Amino acid sequence: MVRFGKAVENAPLALSAGGGIYSAMKTATATAAKSKTDTRMVDALNQVLADSYALMALTHLAHWNVEGPDFFELHKAFQEQYEELFEAVDEIAERVRALDAYAIGGLNKLAGTAGMDEFTSPMPQKDYSAALIVAHEKVIDDATRARGLAGEINDLESQDLMIKRLEFHQKTVWMLKSSLK
Amino acid sequence: MSVNRTPAVNRLESCTIAACHESCALEVVDALLQATGSVRGEEVDALLDLRWLLHRRDDAEATLALFCKLRLAMEERHYLSLYRLRRWLENHLLLSIRPPGGTREHTVPVKLDRYCPEAVRARCLYCGLSRGELTGAGRAFFIFRPRSTRAVPVQTAASAA
Repeated sequence: MVRFGKAVENAPLALSAGGGIYSAMKTATATAAKSKTDTRMVDALNQVLADSYALMALTHLAHWNVEGPDFFELHKAFQEQYEELFEAVDEIAERVRALDAYAIGGLNKLAGTAGMDEFTSPMPQKDYSAALIVAHEKVIDDATRARGLAGEINDLESQDLMIKRLEFHQKTVWMLKSSLK
Repeated sequence: MSVNRTPAVNRLESCTIAACHESCALEVVDALLQATGSVRGEEVDALLDLRWLLHRRDDAEATLALFCKLRLAMEERHYLSLYRLRRWLENHLLLSIRPPGGTREHTVPVKLDRYCPEAVRARCLYCGLSRGELTGAGRAFFIFRPRSTRAVPVQTAASAA
């Protein structure tokens, strides 16, 4: 009742300002433009999703197979990292759904889209950290692009998500680099 | 002290033969050369020589020998940079095996999990022979992968002008 009353109340005001039909057309145009740019945003988010999934698998592999004097520390650190990534992929995929698009999936599709260099075990302990740094840097590049695009199209929610992802990856790179010194 | 990441270094990370930027290894070397204070004088000389060899790309044997020498000397201080170079070389070098009697040449990928070029050669040779395609090796030497997999834009007379 109250809502109806408000709508009726507002309608003559909009028309009297001469912007009723014009405003509606403007909104429709803006929506069409938004859906165009959203495709780019969805692609960018799906790229970060694929990167993050591939990185999660690599980190899990490192967690299982790392050996050497720093085994306990690295084993634990890698576990924390893949657990964080597991939550992140869900968040990124849900953001894609919120943009009314579909998240990519399937191991082949994710690996192909991510295009990351995979490693095989056994390898020296330090190589696990170095290989993961390289993989994190790939995600940083793609997330930076996605953050820039989100800013460009004023999709602040996606931008916020990418900023959060970048914070995690940059911090992890710093920690992994420190472990190599 | 490790070398800061550069945009070129990023390209190295996803270094597949088709997509690899030709000069990314050069830029890792350049970043090392800029890390003054953690690179010794003789290492600077060796890095400059390596840069020249990577630029010329015509002497894989010398390139690998110099890389192994630098790896032994610098890996403890610059693990990540040496790792990036190692991965680049693994993606760009092959061991060419010529069987006795001059029959068809075989190539095997290079895995740099040894610090000495001869140990790398022996390991790659073993991998090649264990495939069963070869019964013996007359000669085995490192080569750069051919560049044919990369798309090079053709410069026409008009565009050159």
